[in-house]
Amino acid sequence: MAAIPPFDAELLRRYDRPGPRYTSYPTAPQFRTDFGPEDFIRAARLSNDDPIPRRLSLYAHIPFCFSPCFYCGCNRIITRDLSRGEAYLERLVREVSMLGPLFDRDREVMQVHLGGGTPNFLGANQIGALMESLQTHFRFSESPERDFSIELDPRFMRASDIEALAFIGFNRASLGVQDFDPAVQKAVNRIQSVEETMAVIEACRRHGFRSVNVDLIYGLPLQTREGFSRTLDTVIQARPDRLAIYSYAHLPQLFRPQKQIDPSQLPSPEDKLGLLQLAIEKLSAAGYAYIGMDHFALPGDDLALAQARGGLHRNFMGYTTHAECDLIGVGVSAISHVGDCFAQNPRDLPSWEAAIDAGRLPTWRGLQLEEDDVLRADLIQQLMCQGEVDVRELEDRHGIDFATYFATELDRLPPLEADGLVERVDGRIRATSRGRLLLRIIAACFDRYLHQAQAEPARFSKAI
Amino acid sequence: MSIAGKRPRPNPIADDGDELRFCSTCAFSDACLSQGYNKSDLRELHVLVEHVGPFHEGEHIFREGDEFNAIAAVRAGTVKTYVVDAAGQEQVLGFHLPGEIIGLNAISEARYPCNAVALDTVMLCRFSFPKMALLATRMPGLQAQLFKLLSQDIGKAALLAGDYTADERMAAFLVALSRRFAQRGFSATRLHLTMTRTDIANYLRLAPETVSRVLRRLQEEGLVKVERRELEISDLPRLEALARVVLRN
Repeated sequence: MAAIPPFDAELLRRYDRPGPRYTSYPTAPQFRTDFGPEDFIRAARLSNDDPIPRRLSLYAHIPFCFSPCFYCGCNRIITRDLSRGEAYLERLVREVSMLGPLFDRDREVMQVHLGGGTPNFLGANQIGALMESLQTHFRFSESPERDFSIELDPRFMRASDIEALAFIGFNRASLGVQDFDPAVQKAVNRIQSVEETMAVIEACRRHGFRSVNVDLIYGLPLQTREGFSRTLDTVIQARPDRLAIYSYAHLPQLFRPQKQIDPSQLPSPEDKLGLLQLAIEKLSAAGYAYIGMDHFALPGDDLALAQARGGLHRNFMGYTTHAECDLIGVGVSAISHVGDCFAQNPRDLPSWEAAIDAGRLPTWRGLQLEEDDVLRADLIQQLMCQGEVDVRELEDRHGIDFATYFATELDRLPPLEADGLVERVDGRIRATSRGRLLLRIIAACFDRYLHQAQAEPARFSKAI
Repeated sequence: MSIAGKRPRPNPIADDGDELRFCSTCAFSDACLSQGYNKSDLRELHVLVEHVGPFHEGEHIFREGDEFNAIAAVRAGTVKTYVVDAAGQEQVLGFHLPGEIIGLNAISEARYPCNAVALDTVMLCRFSFPKMALLATRMPGLQAQLFKLLSQDIGKAALLAGDYTADERMAAFLVALSRRFAQRGFSATRLHLTMTRTDIANYLRLAPETVSRVLRRLQEEGLVKVERRELEISDLPRLEALARVVLRN
């Protein structure tokens, strides 16, 4: 799956429709509010009881941003009041101290990820305090393979902060760039110079970060081939180990900040696809490998290596090499995945704060997976990470007869096969090179909830 | 969603016994099948049997000190027997799989000397012990089977008392489980572990961390593959070699 898939505008246009990105299956809208803190505690206890309990992956959500980027669809709070960060940190530390004792001490933490919002809304000393509390209540792995990563907004970083983060233990960074074109930056309210961005990448390298990721977005207002082409050249020259090229979806009813964007400035669907094509061609020429969805990596990067040996996985943080970890999320809106359960914290700050202040775990909703969910999650994971499903292996692992169990689902494939997205060979269902940019369309064929929803449209109709 | 296409897990209740035959997994099946009893004898034996359950995960079947009046054969699920020592620590005595008997160690005192708890959904066959003892005086085959079960029960407890390494204990535990499953017609190499690692640790007199460390090592050496509660024995001969010092065969 390493080579970058060929670009096919006609095909991409035909399949350009909204749908789940499968960072989890079932997806978050399926979570239920009758799943509470007791259920999460039970899942944690059960997960300790496995013969070899899974290692741990920790995620902390920092919701604050100094200024609003208009394209953003994330859960974030705009403020310049640094004291809010301090108050938030205090509660985070309390949440960590409630969670730590639920997990056996011999379960090593292989991955820590700080996301947002803007994690570097907190100062390096505050981030240090957070890491210290994590290390007090969990056991960090000493393995060189451990990944401690942080999302950074280069506009609010100093090179000395990077040194401090490296000292704290971070070895991976992910930088938001989106586009360097000044007109685009103005239209999305994110003015960020090439110089400050490069200075941060440079500092990460100097201080021993193992990998640097850069996020770009195509489909932003006023974006042009020429401008985006320059952005790509600049970014490729800096040689980030990983690159994500996200598609901008204009859904102002869903994401209020997007109301600030003038829809007349958005590129046409054709132009938008042209931007993706440009990115794919340039990355391909520069030697990047395609990982899946919107992700690319240098061939020597851990993600590309893991994919080559079948050890790639996908969770809420995107693609990862740390497969068999239970994921514990702290902070507002954070999602945990422990054993066969998902659990999510409240998405609004006051509810999360109230739970912490009352000394309760803030679990707001979640889901106890059924056997069918686990099976489909396994299938979709293979599809999203390896681009194919080994039917026999799946039958074996889950005790099913694939053709019978998935009879309805298999009936959905012929149109995709006719379009050359999927092929069935040697007992495998495989995304073709044309289909690899549309993995989620193939995965959606096996999503039980999606098709239930389509069968009962009334439940999802818009309230007018 | 379709339930069609789901392969059934091996289920001992699927070949339930009838008036003349015990379930094929039952510890007493030998006692009647091969001994040429006549119909009335078998009927008498079967009258003693009472199907009970289901017991759900965590539910107790009997507790230490309860009056003993019946032994029971496990038809489905796993039963853990344990005592609580003076320090309040749980000591696991054993795990009882389909076809195996619980309550044998209660015969001498007329009270159960331990607790028995269901680790998953458990179905039992209860045999009234006074009636069975009486019948055994008339049915030599039944008596022989009872003695055999008793001596097996004593032998099992002695196995792990020796001075063995953690690796040897774990290997012996897995090999013994594999053989017991195989004997009842289940897979010898694919085991679903219904017991927690704390239970396994307690039974093997190891720390829970040691259980995981040893299993991880066995996995790295290619002897087993562990995914959550599913354990596959990839190299039974090597695992048996490691277990030999404990199992002696």
